Amino acid sequence: MRDNNHHEEMLILRGEGVSDGVAFGNAFVYRAEQYVVNEEYFEPGDEDAFVQEWEEARHTAQVELDTFFSALENGSSEGRAILDVHKSILFDEEIEEMVETTMREDKIVPALAVSRVFDLFISIVGESSDPLIAERAADLRDVRDRLLRIIRGENSSDLSHLPENTILVANDLLPSDAATLEKGKVTAIVNESGSATAHLAILARSYRIPTVLSVPKATAFINSGEHLIVDGHDGVVVVNPDEETASAYATKKRLLDKKTALENEYQDRKGMLRDGTTVHIGINIGDDREDPGYSSCDFVGLFRTEFLYMDSQQLPTEQQQFDVYRRVLELAGDKPVTLRTLDIGGDKQLPYLSLPEEMNPFLGKRALRLCFEEMDMFKTQLRAAMRASVFGNLQIMFPMVASIDDVRQAKSVLEAVKKDLDDEGCPYDPHVPIGIMIEVPSIAFIADLVVTEVDFASIGTNDLCQYLCATDRDNAEVREYYQSFSPAMLRTVHGIVTAFNAAGKEISICGEMAADPLATKVLVGLGLRKLSMNNASTAKIKMELAQFTLEEAEDVASAVMFLKTQKDIIEYLSSAS
Amino acid sequence: MICRLTEIVNPSGLHGRPAAQLVEAAKRYRSKLTIRNITEHGEAVNAKSIVRILSLSASKGKTVELCAEGEDEIQALEDLINLIDSGFGEI
Repeated sequence: MRDNNHHEEMLILRGEGVSDGVAFGNAFVYRAEQYVVNEEYFEPGDEDAFVQEWEEARHTAQVELDTFFSALENGSSEGRAILDVHKSILFDEEIEEMVETTMREDKIVPALAVSRVFDLFISIVGESSDPLIAERAADLRDVRDRLLRIIRGENSSDLSHLPENTILVANDLLPSDAATLEKGKVTAIVNESGSATAHLAILARSYRIPTVLSVPKATAFINSGEHLIVDGHDGVVVVNPDEETASAYATKKRLLDKKTALENEYQDRKGMLRDGTTVHIGINIGDDREDPGYSSCDFVGLFRTEFLYMDSQQLPTEQQQFDVYRRVLELAGDKPVTLRTLDIGGDKQLPYLSLPEEMNPFLGKRALRLCFEEMDMFKTQLRAAMRASVFGNLQIMFPMVASIDDVRQAKSVLEAVKKDLDDEGCPYDPHVPIGIMIEVPSIAFIADLVVTEVDFASIGTNDLCQYLCATDRDNAEVREYYQSFSPAMLRTVHGIVTAFNAAGKEISICGEMAADPLATKVLVGLGLRKLSMNNASTAKIKMELAQFTLEEAEDVASAVMFLKTQKDIIEYLSSAS
Repeated sequence: MICRLTEIVNPSGLHGRPAAQLVEAAKRYRSKLTIRNITEHGEAVNAKSIVRILSLSASKGKTVELCAEGEDEIQALEDLINLIDSGFGEI
């Protein structure tokens, strides 16, 4: 904890950025009370008086909520939905009966009865297997704390009348607190707890307030009135910024605001060239959060499944994986979801799996190679995926394929899994398309041969480039040798796309090149019509697509085929745009 | 007492607002109303209580059984089933 007298030095705190944008403002530090409820009993005979106290507390809580409702009349529907739920909890007849019964039978004071009964339901609801339902435990806590505060005779902490340019810094901001924020006044939110799926994050995004969650000890490090900069994109909070930092962020904010305004116009449009040619825009996802951008894309080009394996202390079970895959498929609706099987190797350790320590992990027992070794783990993932296939539009994609032998072996494992499911009478979609990542040169160069063995492929430009250029992409020492615009890269991509288009099979690209506006025109010119990227990039790529025609793109693509160095190609592309 | 089965079809399941809507509808009737998560072999709970409904973990795709007992049981059951089948305005 910092001393109040030493305030001038700049301090940088980090957390999870959940709502984009840069904001400047003055801190208002808000610590939600942690109510400690004492074991207090009353004398027999006083029951009615204490029951009446509880009923009055509920009435006061209702008045508070109604006041919020009227303030929200023209406010956000998300805010009203939350308060609807809180009223329903407040007047829950089971809670009412249980609180009254425990008070009468155990002679305990209202605060103790309220916390006992609510805590019971908080733990039941919090353990729900459905994360959306489990998060409603926060709403139960919210109503409980409101009642406890009222019983103690304290007024509500009113966040609805904060001064202009306030950045709210809280330890545990409750959904009802956030719902009452005055939109124009609060420029950013910093909170010690929470994550991207929390109610708070959803509200912040709907209010378009830059927000950083899970900033440890934020309320200890920051004092009310201190000047702050919040970067909701990178998850950075700057306390008492110096002049240099402030001006750097002011520039960033200006650019971001301008760019966002322009790009936002493209967010909900389809990917389309100036002449009306359609380019399908996909997103890459790496978890099962509720809305990573399904509404503004055409497909999920890459569903990374590593998070299931890395966030846990043991191998994920078939059921755990099934639940997650099913959830993602249902959330994506009828949009195709390309599930990539486990892509992990010696560069990342899993506590429960003894991976060999290798001299060259990227050339070692990675991804599919590891799966062939750990056959039970591989089959478990494929079983979970196939069982989930009936809930949406699933595609399965194998990473790190280096030969047609790899493709055939992977497919035979999948066939064995399907047969097992048949024997068990377990339903699955028999028409799930099977494809591969093209990221190893030895498969890239035989795209015309492998195309007959698969239903689709996706080019992983990051790994393809690192293998093609023999350059570790994470090694800053050799960054200049990692050349994704090299003639070799473009010719390789060209060869793959030509082979797949000729065979009438789906080909897409899911590496970082897909999200780079400088590459958009040449990729389309080379024949790609499916680009998949992180959701944050879709608007800018859609905007880029709208700038040129197919003919222009094809001209650019043929012209770069004759350029000899990456430098020449980048210069040409920069001038051609 | 009469009972009927139905499947949860709204994407977010019986979480916050849908649960509140169900309670609001249930409270319009005098009958005793219970709901049970059949898929997870859960116990029947009071359908007029939001905390009980949240405790069901009735996400999309789960089958629930609704039972009604009382003078307006037929109307009550039909009303609640229709509400669940309509997807609470989410679909």
